[in-house]
Amino acid sequence: MRRILEINGKETPIWLASTGQSQVLHLGDREIPCTLDPATGKGAYTLELDGTRISLRIAVGEEATFVHLNGRAYEIGRTDPSQTLGESGGGAAQDQMIAPMPGVVVSVSVAAGDDVAEGQALMVIESMKLETTITAPRDGTVAEIPFAAGDSFGGKEILLKLEPLEEAE
Amino acid sequence: MSINKLLVANRGEIAARVLRTARAIGIKTAVLRHPAEVDSPAHTIADEVVTINGATPVAAYLDIDQIVELAQRIGADAVHPGYGFLAENAAFVGALDKAGITFVGPTQEVIDLMGDKIRARNYVEERGFPVAPSAIEDDNPATFVERARAVGYPLLIKPSAGGGGKGMHIVREESELETSIETARREGERYFGDGRLFVERYIENPRHIEVQVMGDGQGNVVHFWERECSIQRRFQKILEETPSPALTPEQRDDICESAAGIARAVNYRGAGTVEFIYAPNGGYYFLEMNTRLQVEHPVTEMVTGFDLVAEQLRIAAGEELGLQQSDIRQTGHSIELRICAEDADADFRPAIGDILLMDEPVGPGVRVDSGILDGGSVTTDFDPMLSKLIVHGRNRPEAIARARRAAQDYVILGVTTNLGYLDAILAHPKFQSGKVSTGFLADEAEALKQEPDDTTQDILMAATALSDARLVQAVENVPEIYRMMGGWRN
Repeated sequence: MRRILEINGKETPIWLASTGQSQVLHLGDREIPCTLDPATGKGAYTLELDGTRISLRIAVGEEATFVHLNGRAYEIGRTDPSQTLGESGGGAAQDQMIAPMPGVVVSVSVAAGDDVAEGQALMVIESMKLETTITAPRDGTVAEIPFAAGDSFGGKEILLKLEPLEEAE
Repeated sequence: MSINKLLVANRGEIAARVLRTARAIGIKTAVLRHPAEVDSPAHTIADEVVTINGATPVAAYLDIDQIVELAQRIGADAVHPGYGFLAENAAFVGALDKAGITFVGPTQEVIDLMGDKIRARNYVEERGFPVAPSAIEDDNPATFVERARAVGYPLLIKPSAGGGGKGMHIVREESELETSIETARREGERYFGDGRLFVERYIENPRHIEVQVMGDGQGNVVHFWERECSIQRRFQKILEETPSPALTPEQRDDICESAAGIARAVNYRGAGTVEFIYAPNGGYYFLEMNTRLQVEHPVTEMVTGFDLVAEQLRIAAGEELGLQQSDIRQTGHSIELRICAEDADADFRPAIGDILLMDEPVGPGVRVDSGILDGGSVTTDFDPMLSKLIVHGRNRPEAIARARRAAQDYVILGVTTNLGYLDAILAHPKFQSGKVSTGFLADEAEALKQEPDDTTQDILMAATALSDARLVQAVENVPEIYRMMGGWRN
């Protein structure tokens, strides 16, 4: 199972697997066995990483995890690459779909000016060797598609824009 | 006269701090709360929480009419303003006077005088206290160059109408003076439509040293020694200490006596602070007087053993000071850290968020004055200061060690704070040697930056992955064969 983790603006893809006894963190081509157990104290845990035991405090937020380690607090951003695009962005996501991480456009099935229906497949992207189909979050008209098949895009870039809805009465 | 019920017209850590003392000495207490505010420690301490309304929370706390009316309605006979908001607002004091409510602080006249920086400076200078040499063109344009020359070098030329550093010139030699005056004048005209100038002595590598004073308005004034506040970012203090590592005992007596003298000149009532610019050559100059309790007052309490709020309340109730200067001694060393919700690595940008986990440090000589509760949230409605960590040690090295330990033990997760940055300041060799100036944080910006090393990053990623319940659950549910294969699709 994958996550994209962000520390100090730097994004790193990770993969977590299980051996049954412990978990294995895949970091690039490294495989690090690790376990995490609750300890005494508010939010306190013991992390065993590659045989070393480390005390830390952890608080899990909606989009980030906060860790207090060796007298310092850190914020680690989390992105789940399998999550539907547009879900994470909240209200504004109704009008534009933003890439959660860098990737490549596999195919585009609509063009600017096309009317689309909610749920209709608009484009397919691949990030972290995982294909994702982007579907229309609502009925509307495509305003802009900045990328074509084969183009690569960066994290947080706009992949597709819908014409904004008329202001509600 | 005595105080029966006190309204604290403030919020956050200072409201909690004032309320604690008021309760301890048996005064009934009330505090304000805007509907948009989350609960804070003050709301759990006060006997009564009074709702205050306003378009924004800040506007509500500045609404003189409403606060005076609330004080009357709940039967408060005194109001403590804390710091900020209405603490130095002469109109507020006037409105309370009219309503027959005691203001815990100085008179309207003194607030007015000290609130006008030019009047205050002239007042202090006329009474023989040191102010930085300066010359204002407006006073007499014909003699301006002559008077500017008399200020001495290096000097700083500023457009009178200016701000933000535009049109400012440092002049180090006589030969540059007239050319620089002409350049500054042209720039003043261009930027501000006003070519009038102001010249003052430029103090290189200055320190900011201030003195706590207290008077009873009945002729008695004492000082509670100095505080060193040179560690500033964006002209705001974030770390204060006492005693100042810069002063010899003679210099300390001298600067503290000057401050007490200034307070004596205005027959000062209540707690106040006289701020000075301190030059590397030992010269010091009056900067301004703050007619309120300061954010950093706890370091003074730690080394003198006095509760300054209790003294304020006693004086407001009409009692005499009842203290001799010799009753007030500095024992040991104290440091205060201002914990702010901000990103020190991103130009101190204020941070917001929910406080997911909080654990305050404890230990000998450790005091926390906090304005936040676990589970609360930090918004942009108010100042980003969340709490203050104050430590005391027998000497400066012990105070630094205790401050570092406590800063590292202070857990605030969910919102970015400057705790790590403050610890990096404490660890800096130049800070530890005490040789700092107000430019320290800007000069050492690179050295104070912190990046997690590779090992730390591995730990953070493992902790994040293993505490991600959805991720762990998904991993546990993967059929054995895929588990063995790992996940890569090649």
